[in-house]
Amino acid sequence: MKAAPGSSLWLLRHELRMAWYNSVVSGGTRRRMGWASIAVWAVTWTLLHVGAFVVLRRLGTDGSMDPRFAVVATIALAAIAIFMLSSSLKASVLALFERGDLDLLLSSPLPSRSIFTVRLLGVILACAALYLFLFGPLVHVGLVLGQFRWLGVYVAIATMATLMACLGMLLTLALVRVLGARRTRVLAQVLSALAGALLFLLSQSFSLLSQTTDAGATERTLQRLADSPWLAQDSPLWLPGRAVLGDPLPALGMAVLGIAAFMLTVGLTHRFFVHGLQQAASNERALGKPAGAMRLRFRRNLFDTIVVKEWRLIARDPQLISQVLLQLVYLVPLLFLVLRHNDTPGPGIGAGLALLCSSLAGSLAWIVVAAEDAPDLLQSSPAAGRTIVLAKLAACVMPPLLVVAVPLLWLVVRAPLAGVLIGFAVVAAVLSAALIVKWQARPGKRSDFKMRGKENFMCSMFELVNTLCWGGLGWLLVRLTNETGSAAGSTALMAAGAMAVALLTLLLAWLLRRRPA
Amino acid sequence: MNSDTPALQLRSLRKAFGRPAVDGIDLQVRRGELYALLGPNGAGKTTTLRMVTGLLAPDSGQIEVLGIDLAANPAAAKQKMAYLPDDPMLYGKLKPTEYLEFVAGLWGIAPEEAEPRARRLLDWLDLSKHAHELTEGFSRGMKQKLALAGALIHEPELLILDEPLTGLDAAAARQVKDLLVSHVAQGGTVILTTHILEVAERLAQRIGIIRQGRLIAEGTLEELRERTLGGSLEDVFLQLTEQA
Repeated sequence: MKAAPGSSLWLLRHELRMAWYNSVVSGGTRRRMGWASIAVWAVTWTLLHVGAFVVLRRLGTDGSMDPRFAVVATIALAAIAIFMLSSSLKASVLALFERGDLDLLLSSPLPSRSIFTVRLLGVILACAALYLFLFGPLVHVGLVLGQFRWLGVYVAIATMATLMACLGMLLTLALVRVLGARRTRVLAQVLSALAGALLFLLSQSFSLLSQTTDAGATERTLQRLADSPWLAQDSPLWLPGRAVLGDPLPALGMAVLGIAAFMLTVGLTHRFFVHGLQQAASNERALGKPAGAMRLRFRRNLFDTIVVKEWRLIARDPQLISQVLLQLVYLVPLLFLVLRHNDTPGPGIGAGLALLCSSLAGSLAWIVVAAEDAPDLLQSSPAAGRTIVLAKLAACVMPPLLVVAVPLLWLVVRAPLAGVLIGFAVVAAVLSAALIVKWQARPGKRSDFKMRGKENFMCSMFELVNTLCWGGLGWLLVRLTNETGSAAGSTALMAAGAMAVALLTLLLAWLLRRRPA
Repeated sequence: MNSDTPALQLRSLRKAFGRPAVDGIDLQVRRGELYALLGPNGAGKTTTLRMVTGLLAPDSGQIEVLGIDLAANPAAAKQKMAYLPDDPMLYGKLKPTEYLEFVAGLWGIAPEEAEPRARRLLDWLDLSKHAHELTEGFSRGMKQKLALAGALIHEPELLILDEPLTGLDAAAARQVKDLLVSHVAQGGTVILTTHILEVAERLAQRIGIIRQGRLIAEGTLEELRERTLGGSLEDVFLQLTEQA
């Protein structure tokens, strides 16, 4: 692609190159996209084409389409839009603040309109890439089979990516004006984490609803919804879905909407873009609370001081909280099951609570122990190392235990033996997860939280085995309370085996523990 | 403790990271003096200070802080000193008051002693009006001043600073320099490294020059001048480091 230096096309090439670099850079280090990775992607894409071929052959080639597919396609598109919006917020923050090349571009003679146009195109591409990869095969196979209607998939994805990119970019710029760059970055990361959780909860709520109410009631509710004129099959609400299925008018309408949104966003906001950026730098400290009387709360006990400090550091890091506490979102359906059942708790509850608490404790332990911000301060102080370590471990095991305390007590009241056994598995899982991280984790930065698994393979493996063992033990112990005879014997044997492996893992993690340099 | 006991005594201190970083340093810093440790990049200054503060274990040699053997009794030795590296040891998500509470806790200072000291230090360093802000939004100078407040909250007898003036504006640098002079005037001892030779020239009672892990010259500025062709500390420094 030959482009005149300084032209929009030239800038787009730069944008694509940066996007490529970002995709091959991990944790500050560049990794090569090897032949193996390319082969994996190629094989996956081929398999997706095969899958698309099977699906389209089953749907038939007469070109007719069940109108209910439009409803399904609209709902799927709406779900994709949520993910696209979160991607666009992240991509906008990256393009505006994290890449750090905007000062250079804006100080050049390039018109800011071109810069913004290209940046927005980059964000659109970032939003659309995954879905083009996943659903593109449907279009290609459709074309081969003569089903040209599937071109609507490309139109719908491109339009939705454009709309969400415009929305994300405008939202980012508006937030930067109000909150400043740093808070906007945090908010974008929190929202993107919540988007996935929201969809998970929605999907779970439907399944829980079907379990908790009788089938007839669910059916009746759905029927009532279907009868509403807003939700009827010919409702305009399902136009996006019809566009996906290649209905020409809705597809054209979507394309026009996307182009209009793009032009409008570019036309109206490129000045704001520049201004917003300048604003961002000066907005960070303007929002601080007005200084009141200085409050000092010195404690006599070093243990308390350290625990409070660790909790403060976590509580004030929304990005970290969103990543760590996201795990708790998955607890919600589980808790619902714990509180709902009137009979004996199922073994799944024991396993689920142990798995989640262990994972939460491991994450917190990494933050508190391995990602200490000022290790030199602790080491240069006269404070006893043992006290510091104990306080840090307490800081990371207390939150998961507090979170499950109420459901555990509820279980103990309802089914004492099962409740106590689940409690044992949870406490053991939490303590051993924290200890494994303490012994095995490499020092890191809090900002690298998401990368910790890749950076420290050994620790991740120990954590995984530990979590699975205690989760399995929780499952087996609860099952044991419902069994008798030889079945109980074999379950007890399996439980003993799981516990032995868990303890062995702990011992191995201690034997191979990292020594300070 | 005898008042003649040096604030810091290093004997044949060695540390190697593949090649020697500190190569048999013998050094004595008297109580109540401001001692500047100078040297080109990679000379071993920071490694020496990190060993003195217990952050690095020496390969061999002995470190005594105010007569206390660091290896034998690290807690007692650390209780009497404070270390301020060039990159301040702060927590971005803590407020200045909370940071000082934490540091006071590490050094075991009773709340009734720590609180007035914290107020005094924050006032002195013009940080009181920022007491409600998280330190992550602070400028480099404010961070450095807060770290200095943390270093002083337990009133250390020996204050060790690695490049304390890097990145500070003129006003902040002046405040830090005044604070160091005041600390020495009150009987404390300061050891600092700096690349700003003018600071060493104006503040330090004695200067040590280190190169390739060895102490190549030591004395007052006058004594160092006598060993060379004279001139400013910069001239003396360059002559000594190029000669060695």
